[in-house]
Amino acid sequence: MYSQYFGNYLLNKGLISPEQLTDALEYQRSVRLKLGVIAVNAGYMTPSQVEEIHNMQKRIDKRFGELAIEKGYINEQQLEEMLATQKQGHLMLGQALIDRGHLTIDQLQDALDSYKKEYGMSTRQFNVVRKDDSEEIEQIFQSYGEALLGKMYSDYVTLLMKNLIRFVDDYPTVEINQLKSDVTARWFTSQEIFGKININTAITCDTDVFVTFAARFAQEEITEPDELAQASVGEFLNLHNGIFLVNMSNNGVELEMHPQQVEENYTFTNPGKAYIITCSMTWGKFDVLLV
Amino acid sequence: MSKSRPTILICDDSLLVRKKMKDCLNEYGDFNIVEASSGQSSVELFKQHDPDLVFLDIVMPDKNGIEALKEMMEAKKDVKVIMLSSSGTKSHLKAAMDAGASDFIQKPWEKSQIEHIIRNIFQEGV
Repeated sequence: MYSQYFGNYLLNKGLISPEQLTDALEYQRSVRLKLGVIAVNAGYMTPSQVEEIHNMQKRIDKRFGELAIEKGYINEQQLEEMLATQKQGHLMLGQALIDRGHLTIDQLQDALDSYKKEYGMSTRQFNVVRKDDSEEIEQIFQSYGEALLGKMYSDYVTLLMKNLIRFVDDYPTVEINQLKSDVTARWFTSQEIFGKININTAITCDTDVFVTFAARFAQEEITEPDELAQASVGEFLNLHNGIFLVNMSNNGVELEMHPQQVEENYTFTNPGKAYIITCSMTWGKFDVLLV
Repeated sequence: MSKSRPTILICDDSLLVRKKMKDCLNEYGDFNIVEASSGQSSVELFKQHDPDLVFLDIVMPDKNGIEALKEMMEAKKDVKVIMLSSSGTKSHLKAAMDAGASDFIQKPWEKSQIEHIIRNIFQEGV
C-alpha cells in the first residue's frame, strides 16, 4: 500500500519543478480562506482571539473550530457557517497549478490519472489520502495485519503529519511500508514509548536532511550536525511523541517515554515487525521507524 | 543569592530547549541562569545554587523530573518549580501537582507564558 500526496508525485515525475510547486502552494495558501479570517470578517471573533487560538494549536492537537468553541468564542452553528464559507474559498493544488500557468487542465488530468493508476488507488482512496484521513491510514496498517494496533499507528502517523506541517514543512507527504530489512542510518534519532504498549520510534536521515530538519525546527542558523542540530531533531521527536502520549492519555491509555537519543552511523536491526514511514518534504526525505 | 539578580535553574536534557528558554528569559530581565541537562544534575545544581525559580522537564536521563521535583521540595518547600514538558499526560500532571509543582506548561511554550510567570514571581521587575 502506498500513500503520497499529489504534489510530490508531480515533482518526482518531473512534471513540475520544485519552484513551481512552491509557487503553487504559496498561491493556494494565499487564496484559501482561513477560518480565523472568516471568523473575524463575520464578527464572531476578534483578531486577538484568533491569535490566541492559533497559539493554542501549537500545543494542543485540536482544530481551530474545536478550540474556538471550547473557549466559547463561537457556537456549533457559527462553525458550520464558517466551514461552508471556507469550502467555497478553498482552492485545490491542481487548480493552483493551473491558475499559476504551471500545468494545463489536460496535463493535470493526465497526471491525476497516471498517479491513481501507478499507485493502484481508487479515486476515493486518492481523495481520502489527500485529505489526511486517519481511517484510511488505519486501513493501511490493518492490511499489514495490525488488527489491534492499527488505530494507534494510524493516530501516530496522522499526528506526525500534522506536526511536520506545524513545525518543519508546509507540505509533507508520507509513504507507509513494512520494514523488510535492517536500516543503517547516518543519523538515527530515537525514543522509546513504554507502558501498556511499547513502541520504539526513530527518525533516520542523511546529514544534509538532518541539518535542514534541525534548522527548520529550531528556527536557528544551523549548518553542521553539531550538538544543537542533534538537540533540535531530538526535541522534534520528543515533542511529537509527547503530544501523542497526551492524546493517548486523553483516551484513557497512560504511557511513558524514555529520553530521546541521537546516534551517528547506526545500524538498526529489524526485529521482524516494523514499519517505515518515508516522509518527503519540499527540502528532502527522511524515514520514521515504528517498531 | 543576590536579591537584585534572581537565579533561575533550567533543567532539560535538550540543548535547544535550554537555549530557547535562556534567550526568552534574557528578554524579560537580568537573571543568573544555571543549566542542568539531567535529573540528577538538576537536583545537585538546585542544592548548590538555591534558585528562586526552576523550569523542570519531566523526561530526562538519570532521574525523571517528578523524582527531581520531590527532592527539590524536600530541600526547600517554598521554591517555585514550573514543570515544562511535551508530555502533559493526566498522570504526569497529577504527579507534578501532588509533588508541589507551581505550574505545568506543555511544550512548545509561548513567550507570553514565560513572561507571565516571570512577572508574577518577580513582580517588581528585574
